[in-house]
Amino acid sequence: MDSKPIITKETKNRISVDYEGKLTFKERLMQKVKASNTWIKVIISIFKFILMLGISYVILFPFFSKIAGSFMSIDDVVDATVSLIPKNPTFDIYKYMVLENRYFEAFGNTILLSLLCAFIQTFVSCLVGYGLAKFKFKGNNLVFALVIVVMLIPHGTLEMSMRSFFNDFDLLVPASLNKDLSGIVELLTGSRVSLKNTYWPFAIMSLGGLALKNGLYIYLMRQFFKGVPDELEESAYVDGSGTFRTFIQIIIPLSVPMMITIFLFSFSWQWTDEFYTSVFFGGPQAPWMMPKLIEDVPLHLQFNHSGMKFYENVIDNTAGIMIILPLVIMYLFCQRYLVQGIERSGLVG
Amino acid sequence: MSNNVKSAKKLSLSTFKSLFKGKASLDARKARAGYVFVLPFLLGIVLIYLPILFDAIWYSFSNFATEYVTGPSGIKEPISVTYGVGFEHYVAAFNDKGFYQVLLASIQEILFQVPAIIIFSLFIAVVLNQKMLGRALFRAIFFVPVIISTGVMETINAADLMSGSADQGINDGTQQQNGNEIISMLDVQSLFANMKIGTELVQYVVDLVNDIYNIINYSGVQMLIFLAGLQSISPSIYEACQIEGATGWETFWKVTFPMISPMILVNAIYTVIDAFTRTTNPAMNYASGYGGTAGVGVAMSWIYFLLVALIIGVVGLIASSFVFYQRRD
Repeated sequence: MDSKPIITKETKNRISVDYEGKLTFKERLMQKVKASNTWIKVIISIFKFILMLGISYVILFPFFSKIAGSFMSIDDVVDATVSLIPKNPTFDIYKYMVLENRYFEAFGNTILLSLLCAFIQTFVSCLVGYGLAKFKFKGNNLVFALVIVVMLIPHGTLEMSMRSFFNDFDLLVPASLNKDLSGIVELLTGSRVSLKNTYWPFAIMSLGGLALKNGLYIYLMRQFFKGVPDELEESAYVDGSGTFRTFIQIIIPLSVPMMITIFLFSFSWQWTDEFYTSVFFGGPQAPWMMPKLIEDVPLHLQFNHSGMKFYENVIDNTAGIMIILPLVIMYLFCQRYLVQGIERSGLVG
Repeated sequence: MSNNVKSAKKLSLSTFKSLFKGKASLDARKARAGYVFVLPFLLGIVLIYLPILFDAIWYSFSNFATEYVTGPSGIKEPISVTYGVGFEHYVAAFNDKGFYQVLLASIQEILFQVPAIIIFSLFIAVVLNQKMLGRALFRAIFFVPVIISTGVMETINAADLMSGSADQGINDGTQQQNGNEIISMLDVQSLFANMKIGTELVQYVVDLVNDIYNIINYSGVQMLIFLAGLQSISPSIYEACQIEGATGWETFWKVTFPMISPMILVNAIYTVIDAFTRTTNPAMNYASGYGGTAGVGVAMSWIYFLLVALIIGVVGLIASSFVFYQRRD
């Protein structure tokens, strides 16, 4: 390496530099391998790759088996020699799901409800999270503790009281005291209203930041805003911008990645939610939702067959595939925002 | 004396006014703005949540009865009313042996899953945070369960007979050799036979591996939170470590782990909450599907809630003493 470089001019804009005794690429590579523990690194990275591949298989296999099963006829289901690839593939299950289980009606209703909830929840948790993160007021910690408590009390415990509260809806007054006390709604309109089988309970719960997993969203938003430097707002205040103008013009554009993450969560969790739809909806007038697709077996698929139990299972799986299909498509487009949004957020503990 | 009172009154009046009129100190104005921001949640708590909560607690102390009330049209309409019965339902819940079993199993499951989920999600987050072949693809795959395997899909997966080995569900130590397990108890026992390791530990590991499907499914949010935490660690710290000659192992335990420890606390609490409010939770299912009086079911779920709140308190207390908070200036 001590030798002087030999510079030759190849063309007008190109020179080549050479050393006396310069090593070929292969020799240099061998030297590098010998000098460092490259082999160990290669082995570790192969090991990591295989591990990740294995876990990915565990995650994806149930979906593959469900998809494979969805094309099976009842003969394939009971045939022990058929495991993944059906012998007589049919589209029957899909066909009758659409024709007899009103798939598209469920799709329309669910997309409306999920969008409604996702928009309101994202906005409200953004507001509350910002208030909790950036303002010192009396009871700040108490409000945050309340957020955690709301998240902690399982909604299963509140199922019965939620149902009666919204069936006989009045703000401020518990359903069991309805007969004796009149709440705000009754004072204003003269009577209580039943919100059963409407989307109002979802909207009202979302507006209060009380719906499905809203505590988590508020928490994530709060941690995100804690990571936003105060100087940003201070400079806006110095320039004469008010609190709310600062929030709308500076903070909201800044928090779009995090808001997309929250939106994705609330949209998809509302999409597959079966608990709230069973609490707030009921009876024959209930809007037909996606999770209800698994409740009935389509008429044309009901056979008097010994393998019916397994076939019903396959039908349920197919319904599951059809329920999540729109979510999968959405996820394909949005997955990078999901990870990036939370990654760039700089969440602080 | 009277002057003092007057000035005090004046003072309180002026501070009261200043809270609601424009002329207030910056702090007071900021505090007011803070209240406005959290107002939706506060209103929700007072107007919606407290009444619901009141009912839920009241139902556990009362029974339902049907009363007939003459409606505006003159026809007698049935309405359901409640009357208090004291602690009857709680006594009934405590006397139910099935409830004890399911409560124990449920809490065991939570305590079993929490460390597994935390360790697994931290490990995956660390790996996904490094440069590796196909990282973008793996990231996309690992967050599929967060988006998709929730709600009704959990129900479908739990009932799924077809997907074979991948989703086993918890073994409950029944040790059935049904050929569906990923690893067999017998193989592991013969492997560890001469190693003087307790069978409980072996059983735990076997259960863990066979439960891998659920553990992966339930650790999505935790992975995201860990990833975010890992990203917020300043690269200059790692650079300093490299210059000082620390190995990767040392860097992990001396830098990454302390820096990520607040997230471990958060994730531990979130995992407990998630496991306990899940719709497939056996104890909650037992309570909500309780055959007898409705009030007993509600009482059961309150008992379960108090127990889990206690666990969360203990977990939080233990974990928070180990948590390292970086001082931010």
